[in-house]
Amino acid sequence: QGTHSPGSAASSSQRRMTPYVDCYAQRSYPMPDEPYCTELSEEQRALKEKEKGSWAQLSQAEKVALYRLQFHETFAEMNHRSNEWKTVMGCVFFFIGFTALVIWWQRVYVFPKKVVTLTEERKAQQLQRLLDMKSNPIQGLSAHWDYEKKEWKK
Amino acid sequence: SHQKKTPTFHDKYGNAVLAGGSIFCISAWTYTATQIGIEWNLSPVGRVTPKEWRDQ
Repeated sequence: QGTHSPGSAASSSQRRMTPYVDCYAQRSYPMPDEPYCTELSEEQRALKEKEKGSWAQLSQAEKVALYRLQFHETFAEMNHRSNEWKTVMGCVFFFIGFTALVIWWQRVYVFPKKVVTLTEERKAQQLQRLLDMKSNPIQGLSAHWDYEKKEWKK
Repeated sequence: SHQKKTPTFHDKYGNAVLAGGSIFCISAWTYTATQIGIEWNLSPVGRVTPKEWRDQ
């Protein structure tokens, strides 16, 4: 891993694991109160001392190391597109599909037997009764029935 | 120079997880909705022939 990878400069230091603390820079919160690494090794403390002098004395690698002590991620890393949504949505769809299997199981083992009023014959008879009552005659059921020819209007 | 980012789990398997989850979801719901005996109570208009209900 190169010096630009997170963790290389900071690996020896203990760090807080939760992202909900002040040491994690975000795009909306770019300058957190606390540095990312708080417990520094001997070498890192020497570097921090050197930081107090002229920054022209610092090498490129030392500047990067100091940045890594202060910040969790660079802006390039923060802005990097993530593919995490694919895994998340894949799992969401899996569980939605699993719900269908649960409903299948319920259809087989939980649903009661169909009541007699839901048989095809009874439903056809109920339909005739609704037509006899001229149910919903403006825009609804009876509006679609031709009472002269006794068939559905085309 | 910038170090190339090592691919994460999501980079490697995200597409496969997304595709697998979607296919499973669609096929499971298609089967459940059409094949296990659920009736959807569609409108009888133009579909059902009414039948005399009074006692003959």
